[in-house]
Parts: sequence; structure tokens; C-alpha cells
Amino acid sequence: MTQLKLYFIFILFTVLSSRAQKNVGTLIINIHPVFDGKELVLSENAYVNANGDSIYIDTFKFYFSNLCLSGTKPFCEKESYHLIDAENISTLSFTLKDIPIANYSELSFEIGVDSLKNTKGVLTGDLDPIKGMYWAWNTGYIAAKLEGHSKVCKTLHNAFEFHIGGYLQPYRSLRKNKISVGNLQISSTAVNTLELYADAAEWFKTPEKIDVSKINSIVLPNKQSVMMADNYKDMIKFKK
Amino acid sequence: MKISKGNNFVLGMIIILIFSAFILTKEEKLKFEIPKGWPKPNYDLKTNPLTQEGFELGRELFYDPILSSDSSISCSSCHLSYTSFAHTDHRLSHGINGLIGTRNSPALINLAWNTSFMWDGGVNNLESQPINPITSKIEMNSSLTDVVKKLNASAKYRKLFFTAFKDSVVNTQKLFRAMALFTGNLISCNSKYDSVMRKEKNVQFTSAEAKGYILFKKNCSSCHTEPLFTNGLFENNGLGMDTALKDLGRMRITSLSKDSLKFKVPTLRNIEFSFPYMHDGRFKRLSEVLKHYTTGVQKSKTLSPILDKPIVLTSDERVDLMAFLLTLSDKAFIYNANYAFPKNNNK
Ligand code: HEC
Ligand code: HEC
Repeated sequence: MTQLKLYFIFILFTVLSSRAQKNVGTLIINIHPVFDGKELVLSENAYVNANGDSIYIDTFKFYFSNLCLSGTKPFCEKESYHLIDAENISTLSFTLKDIPIANYSELSFEIGVDSLKNTKGVLTGDLDPIKGMYWAWNTGYIAAKLEGHSKVCKTLHNAFEFHIGGYLQPYRSLRKNKISVGNLQISSTAVNTLELYADAAEWFKTPEKIDVSKINSIVLPNKQSVMMADNYKDMIKFKK
Repeated sequence: MKISKGNNFVLGMIIILIFSAFILTKEEKLKFEIPKGWPKPNYDLKTNPLTQEGFELGRELFYDPILSSDSSISCSSCHLSYTSFAHTDHRLSHGINGLIGTRNSPALINLAWNTSFMWDGGVNNLESQPINPITSKIEMNSSLTDVVKKLNASAKYRKLFFTAFKDSVVNTQKLFRAMALFTGNLISCNSKYDSVMRKEKNVQFTSAEAKGYILFKKNCSSCHTEPLFTNGLFENNGLGMDTALKDLGRMRITSLSKDSLKFKVPTLRNIEFSFPYMHDGRFKRLSEVLKHYTTGVQKSKTLSPILDKPIVLTSDERVDLMAFLLTLSDKAFIYNANYAFPKNNNK
């Protein structure tokens, strides 16, 4: 009888202590698609790119993956693949769970999908090929898509189209980056949020200024796709 | 308790029944077995373990035109079991509305060992391979969204997916894992060549076949490497570019000029049945293939150094080499009822 009591006390104790040990919180990340800091309105608003051309953006999609927070208790999200689509509001906000309670200063991430997942066959969730960010004839994920139109493009419907992907050297599209996120405090009680910009203007700026009258179609892994990936590498920014 | 003679008999019958049931289910159970002496397969069978139900679902899908936009074309339209899943008679494959493709449809054999798929190796996983024909405008002209929708709307498939995956909701992963269970288990390992290698009783090469085997090892096996009869690499075997198709092969995938005109080395198993030959189906007969290797090899920057010096074969030697190539025919594969059109199609 006493043994049984002791046993229950023991169980109760472990349950309680495991609860108490759960010193974790969640973080809601909100992504704001912009063009040079201005709200991005697809197809309707014209924007001026780095080359000085007036352009419209029709599609802006990318994989935001392998998110890690660095600070006193480093954290990395597991199976961290988020397909961000400017057209689909539900993709612009997601939650990181089980983050240790601590202060964080930096967010590191990748744009695109790592080579491991590119060779793993047919996956689910945001990596499901049904999402249309997938090449069938040259298997692999499209890291990022930017489509639009501009009078300066002498193409069908004045369209430009950048589908950037490829996971094999020398034309790898995956880009790692890290940004400062100020002093981000994760607590277990408060609703923690992190506001980020996804700035489409970066595609046209540096290191290579893009003239859409000349470069308006990139749809396979090659030198141009690598150049574009280098350009958009810094499109994720911390919104203060 | 006393057991009478009658009871004994009944007991015995029960035991026999239990045993026979055990043996029967054991026989029915599919198992992926690596043939003796073969390397480990490349396809990850741990994440997609072989089951009878999964295999049968994959077969059902392979033979079902539901995967094409107007339900006119199935995988088997271009990959026929009795030609080792190649498409004979056509140099280039024919798809939806009679549209003609740009390549010859290859035999589907021992795919679990493939390190890449398609003549240019553009596809890296057996599971992702069908996305290509399904979404190709000139093959099946459908979309993943459409196919998944159609399958989810079919009571038959919801049932079959439930039996195979304990979940009746169809998604792309289950769809393509089921298909991989079928295509990945089309295994040819019972040709005369295999029997000879396994030193089976009463099976021996004829003297022509034996001489042919020596010639093969000397001239061909650096690319068509045993036991799969491919080294899985990309080579330019001197075909010369077809000026109408302008197919650059591997370079289309890598954009590297060193890969120009290189194609994946195909297996030679069941080569007797899978004519026409080469990526563009330019040769109808094996004799033309041998003629190519002896007198037709065209020089170019990327030609394999192995073929730089012409292969010399006397006419007797050609006959011997041919005799050897025919020992790669596997009738047990071609006539395997498990691989053929499912009979119980209306369940
Ligand atoms: C219109 C004809 C056609 C249809 C329909 C078709 N295929 Fe193919 N298949 C081909 C051709 C042609 C190739 C070679 C393509 C290439 O190299 O670009 C091929 C290649 C393949 C390969 C690669 C083999 C290897 O060794 O690299 C597999 C596997 C395959 N098909 C399976 C399928 C499946 C499964 C389906 C049904 C979803 C299907 N095919 C439907 C014509 C077809
Ligand atoms: C340098 C590597 C290499 C060597 C050596 C080589 N082959 Fe090939 N073989 C290939 C490649 C690559 C292909 C596919 C070429 C294509 O379609 O463009 C091929 C295709 C074939 C095909 C057609 C297969 C099919 O399914 O269409 C046959 C048959 C064949 N080879 C037989 C031979 C024989 C017999 C020898 C020896 C005399 C030989 N090969 C030597 C690389 C090689």
C-alpha cells in the first residue's frame, strides 16, 4: 500500500517537474512582402527597379527554410521549410514552437531547399511538389519565383519570369543568410512576434543590376540563376 | 482428458490447416530480395517498405489512364510488360493526342538500383519520376492537383489507398510511393546469364555465348557493367547528334559543355525485347548497334576515350557477342503475371 502511494507520488512529481522544465515559448513570424520598403501589391501597383524601369510584380514566392535563432540558448526549428507566397496570406505568418526562454539577437535562415531534401523523393507539407515549386524534368525544388511584366520587356505579354533553382554545383541556388533581430525576448507567457520584410526589389539591385529588357527569363539552373540567387540573398530584412 | 482417435484426426487436420495457411500467406508475401552478388539498391526501401497491397496499388495506377488529362494514356501506353516495359515499334514515344515525344521510351528494369532516371539523368529519385510524364504536355498532359483530385473522388482508389497505407486520403507522396513500389520491384535476375553466374545445375553458356562473354568483358563492360549492365554514368558513345532533335543529353541538365551529347548508359538486360535502341531509337536491330560500335562511332570532343580506338570484331565475333547479349533475356520477367495488367481490375 505505501509502496503504491510512493509510486503515485513519484509519478506526480515527475509529471510536475517535466511541466516545470518546459521553459519554452513560441514565436509568431510575420512576413511583409514589400518593394523597396513599400507594401507590395501584386499586379496593380507599378514599382521602379534599380535600373530605373517601371515594373509590375505578379508572383513572388520562395522557400524560407532552416530557421535558427542565436542567443543565450540557440534554437533551430526542426523540419523547417516554409513556402512564402505573397499572394496567399496564410503563408505570410507561421509559428515557431518550443523555443527556449531566452534572449535572441540573430536569425539565420536559408532561401531555397537544401540538397538533402531535393533528393528525398516526394515529400509532404510545404515541400509537396503539388505546390508548384518543383521541376519535374530536372528534379529539384524551385527556390524562389518572381514573375511580372514591364513595358521594357519585348516579350509575350511584356512578361519577365525568374524561376530560380538547382541544387548541384556549380549552379546551386541555396543561399544562407543571417540578420540581426534586435533584442528578441522569448517568454512562455507573452505572445512573441517577429516582423520581417521580404523585399522583392533586392532581386534587381546588387551585386548585379538587372535590366529586364535584357534578362527576362531564367527558368533553369545556370549562371544567370546563380547571379539572381546572389541578388535576392538579402531580401529578408528585420522590420524594427 | 482422453483424446479419442477421431479427435486426434480432427486435431491433426486443424494443425495441417494452420500450417498450410501459414505457408500460403508466406508464399503470397512479397519481399524485396537483393539478388546474390548484387550491390545494395539506391532507392530507400526503409522509408517505403514493400507490401503486397502497396505493390498492387502501384500496378493499378501504372495501368490506369486516370493519370492522364483525358484518361486516354497510361504509363503502360509507353511501357509494355512484354517488351520489358519499353515501347517497341516507335523510335520516339507517342503521347496524348498522338503527339510525338523527343525520346525513345526505355525499358524499366531494376530501377531500384538506378542512381538517376531519364536518358539525361534529370530525375534523381524513383518516386519523383512519374511527375514528369504526368505533367508533360506531350505525354499525359495532366497536373498533380488534377490527378490527386481524381483519385480522391474515386471510391475504388480511396479503398485501395486505405488498404495500402491505412489512410484513404490520397496525396502526392502516397501516390508516388505506391508507384515506386511497383516500378522499383520490376526486377530481372533470372536470365540465362544469371543462371550461369549462379552456377545452376545443367545451365552452361554455349561455346558461342562463352566467347561472346569474353568479347563483352573486353569491349563493353566498362560502361555496361555487370551485374546491372550499366555503370550508371553518362557517356558519349559516338552516336552523333540527331540534327532534327538536337538533343544535348546530360548537358540539358547540367548546362556544362563537358556533358554535351552524353547519355545515361542503359542496362542491356532484356535487350532482345526493348528495341528500338538508343535515346532516339535510331537503331531497330542489335546488329545495327554492333555495326555502330565497330564502324559507326563518330568523333567529338566528349566522345568516351574508351571508344576512341574503334572496336574490331570479325563477323564470327559479332555472332558470338550477339549470342551473349541474348543470354540477358529473362522470360520469367517478361511473362511475370505479377507485372502484367491486373486481372482483378474491377474490385
Ligand atoms: C508518352 C509516353 C510515355 C508515358 C505515357 C510514360 N512514359 Fe515513362 N518514359 C517515356 C520516355 C520517352 C522516357 C525517357 C524520357 C527521357 O529520357 O527524357 C521515359 C522514362 C521513364 C522512366 C525512367 C527509366 C530510366 O531508366 O531512366 C521511368 C521509371 C518511367 N518512364 C516510368 C513511367 C511511369 C511510371 C509512367 C506513368 C506515370 C510513364 N513512365 C509514362 C515515355 C513515357
Ligand atoms: C563508353 C561507354 C560505352 C561502351 C564502351 C559501350 N556502350 Fe553501349 N551504350 C552506351 C551509352 C551511353 C548508350 C546510350 C546512348 C544513347 O542512347 O545516346 C549505349 C547504348 C547501348 C545499346 C542500346 C540500349 C538501349 O536500350 O537502347 C546497346 C544495345 C549497347 N549500348 C550495346 C553495347 C555493346 C554490345 C558494347 C560493346 C561492343 C557497348 N555497348 C559498349 C555506352 C557504352
